[in-house]
Amino acid sequence: MHFSYDPAGSFVIHGVEGPLQQILAAIPLAAQAGESVPARDRLFPEPATGKDAAEISEEWREYVQPGLRHLFEEAVVTVAADLKQMEGGGETLTIVRQNIDAWLNTLNQARLVLAARFNVTEADMDGPASHLLTSDRDFALFQIYFYGALQEFMIQGIDEG
Amino acid sequence: MTETISETKEQTALGVPWNVIVHNDPVNLMSYVTLVFKRVFGYPTEKAEKHMMEVHRLGRSILWTGERERAELYVQQLHSHLLLATMERANY
Repeated sequence: MHFSYDPAGSFVIHGVEGPLQQILAAIPLAAQAGESVPARDRLFPEPATGKDAAEISEEWREYVQPGLRHLFEEAVVTVAADLKQMEGGGETLTIVRQNIDAWLNTLNQARLVLAARFNVTEADMDGPASHLLTSDRDFALFQIYFYGALQEFMIQGIDEG
Repeated sequence: MTETISETKEQTALGVPWNVIVHNDPVNLMSYVTLVFKRVFGYPTEKAEKHMMEVHRLGRSILWTGERERAELYVQQLHSHLLLATMERANY
């Protein structure tokens, strides 16, 4: 598998095969916090500290969080639509320039939700990735690393562009 | 006299600037955090990277200080990029 940017600014993932297709296809589901309180808290953190925190948080939940929730959901819908390119075994995934921010956002949602669900620590992120995926946690860590690598390549392209 | 003191206190409270603070988390990529700082605050790469490293090394960095409404807008934008950001009165 390798990545490139085409002249129109689209990010292209070439040679997506077998298990990597499954890991990419799992992005929308991984981004769902569902009923996980730690995951929801991480996607919607408290906005303030200090003596005004309670008042600001209350207003935030009412007026700001619905907009953020909509933004996150729209990003996931965009990614899910792009992933349909791989249905039927397609091995190339093209992400047009205007969808790249939705991808960065959704990949981040997925990484943060997985990390919150599996209580991922700084030590987990600094340590080497396990080559043996023997548990759901191992698989979640692999997803976090893999999605992070995708983000990194996308960001490099943005910086260069 | 009492009224004058009350008014002065209120004006002082309203005028207190707010800090916008970004906190470390183990998951967000350094390159992503830098990109978000550039986009949200319009900082040049060098300044964005300085704040990113401060977050990484010290656990938090004050990105901006100013009036409350603007601080709320920045925190909202940072949350939309999934960074851990808060606002607090600058005199805390």
